[in-house]
Amino acid sequence: MGGLLSYFRGLLGAREMRILILGLDGAGKTTILYKLQVGEVVTTIPTIGFNVEQVTYKNLKFQVWDLGGQTSIRPYWRCYYGNTDAIIYVVDSADRDRIGISKDELVHMLREEELANAILVVLANKQDMAGCLTVAEVHQALGLDALRDRTFQIFKTSAVRGEGLDQAMDWLSNALQARK
Amino acid sequence: MYTLIHGFYKYVIQKDEYFVLILGLDNAGKTTYLEAAKTKFTKKYKAMNPNRITTTVGLNIGKIDVDGVRLNFWDLGGQQELQSLWDKYYAECHGVIYIVDSSDRERVSESKETFDRMIASEHLAGVPLLVLANKQDIPDCMGVHTVKPIFNQNAHLIGARDIMLMATSALMGDGVDEGIRWLVDCIKRNSIERPARNHDDNL
Repeated sequence: MGGLLSYFRGLLGAREMRILILGLDGAGKTTILYKLQVGEVVTTIPTIGFNVEQVTYKNLKFQVWDLGGQTSIRPYWRCYYGNTDAIIYVVDSADRDRIGISKDELVHMLREEELANAILVVLANKQDMAGCLTVAEVHQALGLDALRDRTFQIFKTSAVRGEGLDQAMDWLSNALQARK
Repeated sequence: MYTLIHGFYKYVIQKDEYFVLILGLDNAGKTTYLEAAKTKFTKKYKAMNPNRITTTVGLNIGKIDVDGVRLNFWDLGGQQELQSLWDKYYAECHGVIYIVDSSDRERVSESKETFDRMIASEHLAGVPLLVLANKQDIPDCMGVHTVKPIFNQNAHLIGARDIMLMATSALMGDGVDEGIRWLVDCIKRNSIERPARNHDDNL
């Protein structure tokens, strides 16, 4: 009976989860967004501003915001932080030179009060490239071991090949449902 | 006057906070155990479906209130390449729960080696240790009497810290609260060495 009730409640009161996709320019955020939405790799150009799409994953609805990652527009990320349930932070695992900048942006972002309860998913993207960072290396390079009060998970992904995104969305939807 | 009352109110509701690490090889059942602990000690907690728990690469956290204190759990990934990240948390934790998959005879020696590396760390000296022979729900698994001698070998590394080995089934929730209550007692006793953290302290 209880199960039935909660089933109906799920049908009626399911709030759309708000998710931000962030990361440096060229990390693959837009490719990931459209891979999630239409299941295809689309040709993208650097995002100036944002793309927003509704993504349905296993009967859960997400409102996914993909914000431009270039240096000059990163300061505007914070305008979108309110009511965010989860952050998908995308890292170009092949870009060893800029992983430090990526770390700084992440640390900066996680300090924001408005994101205190947001779940963090880190995508170590571009795992199809030779010589890319491993998961443990990404973990260390981003200084994630300094996090003490936030649930997070790292996934290896290759957006162009469509690898790893399913596992990440699976984990995320699970974590979001458990948190409610 | 407000400050006085506010201060008194905070004093009354404030709980001592302790941090507990959940470690062990991958697939030992650490995240399932964390969910079981949250279920036992949190009213109306809706646990994650155990079938949908995947390999952790990152951190899961949990807070529970037991016997007048607040426990904060850190559940870390157990895969080999992630074990190098464990020691970043050693200095700040007040207790360690080490989980062993009792049904996996092939990897029990690997688990023991990992355990030895962990307890050899000076940052964990004196920290109470709860070792759990998990997955007791699986038929034909190793019992406490088999697992205990394996993990009791290096007495010199264990030293004078509190240590206990118990049988659990995180999946069924068996043995979860007994273990946590034991650990809380030890952590309280050890709080002279490792004092509790209060809400006001900055992490």
